[in-house]
Amino acid sequence: MDNILSVLIFFPAIAGLLGFVIDKNSIRAYGISVTVIEFVLSLVLWASFDGTSAAMQFVELVPIVPDFGISYYVAVDGISLFLVIMTTLMTLIGIISMSVKSEIKNMVITLLFLEMTMIGVFVTLDVIVFYLFWELSLVPMLYIIGAWGGPLRVYAAIKFFLYTFTGSLIMLVGILFLAFTYHDAMGGYDNVGVWSFALTDWYQLKLDVDVQLWLFAAFFIGFAIKVPMFPFHTWLPYAHGQAPTIGSVILAAVLLKMGTYGFVRFSLPLFPDASVMMIVPIAVIAIIMIIYTAMVAYAQEDIKQVIAYSSVSHMGIIMLGAFAMNTQGISGSIFQMLAHGIVSGALFMLVGMLYDRRHTKLMSEFGGLALVMPRYAMIFGIMLMASVGLPLTMGFVGEFLVLIGFYNVSPILTILAGTSIIVGAVYMLSLFKKTFFGELTNEKNKNLLDLDARETFSLVPLVLIVIWLGVYPTPILKPIDVSVASMLELMEAKATKPKTKEFIASMRSDNKEEN
Amino acid sequence: MENLVYIALFAPFVSSLFALMFVMVPKQTFVGIVASMLLFISFLASSILAYHIVMTNEVIYVRMMDWIVVGNLSIPFGFVADHVSVTMMVVVSLVSTVVHIYSIGYMDHDRSFNRFFSYLSAFVFSMMVLVMSDNFAGLFIGWEGVGVCSWLLIGFWYHKKDVTRDINPSISPSWAANEAFIMNRIADLGMLVGIFIIFWNTGSLQYDVVFPKLSEIAVISPEILITAAIALFIGAMGKSAQFPLHTWLTDAMEGPTPVSALIHAATMVTAGVFLVIRANPLFGMEEVAGVSYFIASLGTFVAFFAASMALVNRDLKRIIAFSTLSQLGYMFAAAGLGAYWIALFHLAAHAFFKALLFLGAGNVMHAMHDELDIFKMGGLRKKMRWTWGYMGLASLALAGIWPLAGFYSKDAIIESAFNEGNLILWAMLVITAGMTAFYSFRQVFLTFHGDERYKEFGIHPHEMYKYVLIGMSPLAILAVVAGWGKDWFEGFVTNLLPAYKMSEHTHHLVTTLTIIVSVFAVSGILIAAFKYIRGLKRSEKMENSFIYRLLANQYYIPQLYAEMISKPYAELSNIFWKSIDMKIVDATVDAIANIVYKSGDGSRKMQSGNLSNYLAWMTFGAVALLIAALISSVLG
Repeated sequence: MDNILSVLIFFPAIAGLLGFVIDKNSIRAYGISVTVIEFVLSLVLWASFDGTSAAMQFVELVPIVPDFGISYYVAVDGISLFLVIMTTLMTLIGIISMSVKSEIKNMVITLLFLEMTMIGVFVTLDVIVFYLFWELSLVPMLYIIGAWGGPLRVYAAIKFFLYTFTGSLIMLVGILFLAFTYHDAMGGYDNVGVWSFALTDWYQLKLDVDVQLWLFAAFFIGFAIKVPMFPFHTWLPYAHGQAPTIGSVILAAVLLKMGTYGFVRFSLPLFPDASVMMIVPIAVIAIIMIIYTAMVAYAQEDIKQVIAYSSVSHMGIIMLGAFAMNTQGISGSIFQMLAHGIVSGALFMLVGMLYDRRHTKLMSEFGGLALVMPRYAMIFGIMLMASVGLPLTMGFVGEFLVLIGFYNVSPILTILAGTSIIVGAVYMLSLFKKTFFGELTNEKNKNLLDLDARETFSLVPLVLIVIWLGVYPTPILKPIDVSVASMLELMEAKATKPKTKEFIASMRSDNKEEN
Repeated sequence: MENLVYIALFAPFVSSLFALMFVMVPKQTFVGIVASMLLFISFLASSILAYHIVMTNEVIYVRMMDWIVVGNLSIPFGFVADHVSVTMMVVVSLVSTVVHIYSIGYMDHDRSFNRFFSYLSAFVFSMMVLVMSDNFAGLFIGWEGVGVCSWLLIGFWYHKKDVTRDINPSISPSWAANEAFIMNRIADLGMLVGIFIIFWNTGSLQYDVVFPKLSEIAVISPEILITAAIALFIGAMGKSAQFPLHTWLTDAMEGPTPVSALIHAATMVTAGVFLVIRANPLFGMEEVAGVSYFIASLGTFVAFFAASMALVNRDLKRIIAFSTLSQLGYMFAAAGLGAYWIALFHLAAHAFFKALLFLGAGNVMHAMHDELDIFKMGGLRKKMRWTWGYMGLASLALAGIWPLAGFYSKDAIIESAFNEGNLILWAMLVITAGMTAFYSFRQVFLTFHGDERYKEFGIHPHEMYKYVLIGMSPLAILAVVAGWGKDWFEGFVTNLLPAYKMSEHTHHLVTTLTIIVSVFAVSGILIAAFKYIRGLKRSEKMENSFIYRLLANQYYIPQLYAEMISKPYAELSNIFWKSIDMKIVDATVDAIANIVYKSGDGSRKMQSGNLSNYLAWMTFGAVALLIAALISSVLG
């Protein structure tokens, strides 16, 4: 049990290596078995997790380069735990639903490696090792898009890689600067300084506001491109447009969350003053993401592009919540990361299933599909409703918490962001109408098959989760809430400016008064 | 008693799930029967609860479990059966039961029979959640739930294609469904903001915690209350289709007629009125009197405005939809004037006779093979005696003729406008009552009396199945008798709602006032009879007049929305995508990448392999570095 996080990280990778000797015909079964075990392990992790404690749990610490304080340091808390579970779940479901035919062996192995890097990102607390996983996660995705993608796949893959990589490099500069600052603060000038890359050590560091702002900017570039925030989002439609279904599922469900997770894990607690100062600019960008990309989504002709742009719009809600500086907003933001992971993952899978049948994703090719594919239409409808934030689906809980949290920061900005419930409904309902309603005129659609057993089997669990966590989100919200409350406490304690302290304190006390 | 609350709430849910199991198989009549029985159970449970509350005056709270708990935000699934909610529960479950039974006959030939019952029961469940929740968030669950069910049911015949507005003003069922959903979402944002304001100022969303705290807030800052009231009312405007968010309701007539009867007449559209009644401790405050006055004025305006469009409409269902809109205006007028119990009374009475009217219209459609144009009907009385009786009765009730339900409830509203000393509102409501009587009977006469114009179109009308007609009878009875219990009802609900008493002055004039309203109503009927009872005489001149065309085109508001909102939104979206996202944002990214690439490509030429060339570059580099060092040392 002590090493469960290491097992979670490296089991898929080792299994991936062994995958090279597995026969091509049984590789899918092999991949499913591995990811099932991995998923069950993550559930075991949840079961043994103490949800009432905000402390880092299942800590493992092995020094790698003691002279520079670099170590293998992993742990989970309420913030990262569910992202790990979502990762294992979506990888499993992704492999089950996968329809890739060519080079399937390479695909499964790549996915298993990707799973390692994703879990690594979420559980690593040593910043250098975190950075390694962060960058490593690009490689499998580069390969997936570049090898199995559409006609423009090389352009899309390289764009994705270079864009995010450039951002990460700037973040790396920030990381190194922060390491030196830590070293100096720990007596570096006397040459007896201590090096550390442990995030928990860095949390204790009080930084000047100027330094915070520069560092915030450096980390911001790295995370913002990943999220992706406006105006750094244009790699996303290409990546989704060219990626095979499985690539889009993982990209939307997990990879984008790395960016928002980075903001919550790094930017907020490391740079509380800068974060508070940046609330309004970030909120403005988030609102642009929400409204502007929703409108761009509405203009799309291709179903997959609608979902791709809708992702950006939803990530705007997540960003807004992360900078609400109260438990409702930040917990809502984390919950929304999970909700968006499941819902957009399912939507991309659904689009993929349609593509498998008709080899087109253009809405103009469809219409009236509800008649020939009722089961498919029903599941699409449920996911659509979750996507537009219908109460009692997962999508509502996150969106509601984010908006109610941010309302305490700025009513006006919240109202602007709240238009997401309108603009989201506009593009989603228009997509649904164009695809599923109307007369079934296109001859090619008249004999389309409804969902087969494998597809149903991969979608139904997601439907159940979306409804279960919409009706009863407590098992997840509680641990998140505890960890977020403790993070806010830390932010208040280490803020340099009295104004920041006051602000965070007021946000926290609004929540205590009534208890 | 707690169990009864759960039975009343979840019986429709079970019914929906039951029907859902058969959604992929062809029509099964027992699905409709089982669903109707479950709804009837819900009605029984609601009635027993109502009886219990009448007898004991005891309010029942149940708390099922926590829903969302973060920080100090704690939202449970909690339900309350009190005087207001139990009234709504009885009305909703009763009308739903009748509509379910009716649908067994009406949807007889539809291949999506089972699906229909699943949606319809899901709607009832959502509506029950809406009225029974003991907090604003729970109300919002129901609020959105009925919205989705409404979307599903308006678009029930999703396979119909879009046509132009000239052929069908609703364009297509799926178009109308989306319009309804999106327009409601606009209002829902207001509702959400209201919820946020309430939460951050009272620390709770439970009615019984929030309402006592309002007076404390009023002392500190009345603006908060005003904003909250405005925000909540915006929410109410969407669901109850008040101007300017009204266009979706008439387009919603694309749904099957039982849906129009249940959702778009009797229950869901009254949710906005219910919200104002439920939040009466807020809307009734001194500090928000301005908002309440606005509600009353808007209600009166809508009552008149909708009635004016009904005067010339030719579509059987749309006329009734306009009358619903108009009656919702009456309800808001009452609620805005502080006469909450009268608003609730009219809500209940209206539910009965309006549902009856719609179901009657459904019979006519069934007989006329989905023809809706009343100009193509006439003389149907001979073939459809029962339906004629039902619709005539419902129209009399709607027109407010003594001693039917509408007389008591509508008259009370008009009286309260007089009582408030607001003669403009009063006069408009009286005139509207006359218009209501006119258009209701224009419709009755054009449909059931006069020359048999349908013969030209080769239609052979027939009466609806007997059991359906019998199933409709509870509504007919209630349309007659519901008004008689007015004083008892007042005594019952004013245990919870503020009492509203007429002043001495009004009391003295009550007979005169009643006579005035009745004269207007009867004259309306008489004018309609004079013009239409012997048949349809069309006047080219009138139909081409400006006012007629203005009314027939709904004041051109749908066209205005299309031109001013939908089209610009689509165009702007396109510009955002093609011009900004592709040409500016993305092109910038590619340009930067290209600069890097080209400069790399360009400087590749330095690698010429020529030694003296390399030396020259080396010197150049050394000099450049020296200069840079020099500058930085001077500056730094």
